[in-house]
Parts: sequence; C-alpha cells; structure tokens
Amino acid sequence: MSLISSIGLQGLTGLSSGDTVTIIYIIFFMGLFVFQFAFGTRIQVYFALNDIGRGLSKLKVMKEKSRKEAIDYLVNVGKAANDPSQRVDQFLDYVTIMPVGIDPQGLVNKIDHVVTTNNDRVRAEVGALVTQNNPVTVSISENLLEVATALNMIHKVVRHYYILGKKTNSYFTLIQLQMLMPMIIQESDALLNAVDSFKVGQPVGDGIGPVSVSKFMVGKEKRAIAKDTVMAISEYKGRKLYIVKADGPMAYVGQPGVAIKKIVEEMGVKPSAIVMIDAALKLEGEKTGEIAEGVGAAIGGIGVEKFQIEEVATTHKVPLYAILVKQSILEAITVMRKEIAEASERVVQTLQRVIEEKTKEGDDVVVAGIGNTLGVAQ
Amino acid sequence: MMSSVPATDRKSKLLVYSIEECPVCGQKTKRAFAVGDYVTKEAAKCTKCGNQTRVSLVYAESTKPSG
Repeated sequence: MSLISSIGLQGLTGLSSGDTVTIIYIIFFMGLFVFQFAFGTRIQVYFALNDIGRGLSKLKVMKEKSRKEAIDYLVNVGKAANDPSQRVDQFLDYVTIMPVGIDPQGLVNKIDHVVTTNNDRVRAEVGALVTQNNPVTVSISENLLEVATALNMIHKVVRHYYILGKKTNSYFTLIQLQMLMPMIIQESDALLNAVDSFKVGQPVGDGIGPVSVSKFMVGKEKRAIAKDTVMAISEYKGRKLYIVKADGPMAYVGQPGVAIKKIVEEMGVKPSAIVMIDAALKLEGEKTGEIAEGVGAAIGGIGVEKFQIEEVATTHKVPLYAILVKQSILEAITVMRKEIAEASERVVQTLQRVIEEKTKEGDDVVVAGIGNTLGVAQ
Repeated sequence: MMSSVPATDRKSKLLVYSIEECPVCGQKTKRAFAVGDYVTKEAAKCTKCGNQTRVSLVYAESTKPSG
C-alpha cells in the first residue's frame, strides 16, 4: 500500500520514496519541537506535582506518627490525668513571634526574653499535663512535643507551597520545591527517628560534649549555676577547671552562656581559656566521629547563648577554643553511634592537650560541654 | 529522587549497648541497654576487682538483620 502511494506521490511530485520519508521525519520532529515548546513545561509541572505529592504524603504520615507517639508517651509514661489529644493539637499550632529586627539595639536580649518565655510556657504546660513529676519524664515529653511541632510545621509549609504552585501553575515554585524535597524528607526522617531515642532516654549524638565533660564531674560537688545547668570544679595538672554542662540525665540543653557569664562576672573567676566541646555537622565525605579543633564559641541554636559567650570572652579578653565532633544531622538527634561515643576519649585527650598548651599551672580554665544531655548525668 | 534514607541505613538495624567501666581497674563490660540507664549511673560490681562500676558510655551499633 505504502509502495503504491509512494509511487503515486513520486508520479505527482517527482519525489523519490526516500525523499518522502525524509519529509515525514522533518514534519514529525518539527511537530515534536512545537509540542515540547508548547506543553513541555506543563508536562514537567505534572511530574513535579506528582513527586511533591508523594513526598507530602510521607510528611503527613511522619507528622501524624510523631503526634501519636507524643500522646502515647504522655498517657503511658507521664500518666496524664485526662486525654491530652486536644491540648497537644493546640500545642502543635502554638507560635513564637520573634522580636522586630529593624532596630538591632538590644535585639539578642529581646530574643532571649521571647525564647525563655516560650520554654517556660512549654515546661509549665507539660508539667500540668503529666501527673508524673519526674523531671526526666517531663523533659522527654517536652522534646517529643517539639519534634511533633517541627514535623507539623514542615508539613504545613511544604503543603502551602505545593498548593500555591498548583493554583498558580508556577513552574519555578514547584521545581524548587521538588529539588528540596529529598533534603526535607531526610531531615523529617531524622526527626521521626529521634522519637525512638527520646522515649527511652538514650543519649543522642549531640550529647557528645556532655559525655566528654561528665568524666571530669563524676564524684565532684555539683551546683546549679543557671537554669537546667550545673557546674563542678575539677583539677588538671595544677589548673583549676570550671566544668559546665546541662543538668542530666534530663533532655536539657541548659544555659551555658548564662553559666559562663556568672563564673566570670559574679564568681570573679579570671579564666585563661574557655574551651567548648560540641557536636558539629559534618560535610558529605567526612567521617563520623572525626575531631576538629578551632577557635570561637562552639554552640548552635538561635544565637543567644553564642552571643553571651562571645560577649563575656571579648570583654574579659579570654581566648575561646573549640573541640568539635563531626556527625550528620541524623546522627546528632538519634541514639549516639559507636563512632561518636568512642570519640569521647579522644576529645578528653585533645582537651587535656589544649589545656596544657594554652594555659599554665595555677590558671583557671572554663570547660563547657554543649548539647542535649539526655541520658548523660554528671 | 524522592528516596530519603540511604539504602545501607534502611537495611541495617541499630542495637544499643551500655558500657560499664570500673574506675579502679579499668575493666569494661558491654551489655544491652536497659531503660533507665544513663552515663555515670552506678552499675554492677566489677567482676575483676569488686569495685563499683559506672555506665561510661551508651551507644548504638549497626548490624545487618539476619535472613
């Protein structure tokens, strides 16, 4: 049939069958080009929406699981008197409004005030929910609610951009969200995995600072120096060590900034060095448990504690040294891995070397173990 | 593209241990983590010298699931 038609076409136009095929190819590819030009973006938007939709479903499952875990913990371990579901749902949507930043004068103090108010509120509300007055149970409940709040917020934000992109058919909004989704899912997964460690009070990777300094505090007299923060005085090769960490084994991070400020300004200690030990996020390719040394205030968070420590160190001209233990975000908030735990001995050796190299006999040194101290007493 | 957890993490299972260490002779004993364990908690008597041991570390090791 095609042979007859090509003969006919050849007879009419004088084109050979090879030429006809070429023309058909050209028309086909031109059509394809026009189709791609006209509908290519829409096809990509379709695939992006599918991809984000799948991720959003995963986030929803994670959000609901973390909420259920928090409620179960409050009921089973915290022995909540009434059904806490409604209170937990209100808690998940509670917002913290950060102070205005257009006049930066005194901004850190304002942020500190808002954050402290929020932390006090959380503890008071959790304390009212659970009948178990055990501080470990209360602190774990706080952390579980924080995880549930974070996952709830992540789900809400992703859903917002998904619906916005769908409504406006915005290619760039959806493509950016699609590119970010693997990282968002990974971080959310890490948060959800943290729930298992928190529930049973296992130390998390972020607790490597407290684990390292706790070795200097065992058997020493401890005193509360700031909210959820303790201090002990120890000695190493003629130096007096002021060891600071959050009060464990509760899931606290404490107020190391306030503690160091009090040691220097209220107790009148003139330290020759402040050494901070903390977990640090590793870059891809770096090994978990690797130790890095440096200078500066090794502390994360919103920046209030970092500011306070830098301020006191600068005012009193005290050098700040940092010892960091590398780990991923997943490792930082889930049960401590062997590689991280075993780094604590090398951290202690590094700390001792830093003290020997940077200070002399008779000097005072402040050592702060920074991080969540769940499952790490002193 | 949507894969979130590395394949190795998904396949491996974490087992959590507590390490009891004797402050006198330094002997370390590894046992499964029990709820209520925490670092510096007083643990059993040392099997070597009879002194009081303490939990010095709590950590997780990944292991491939059997089967």
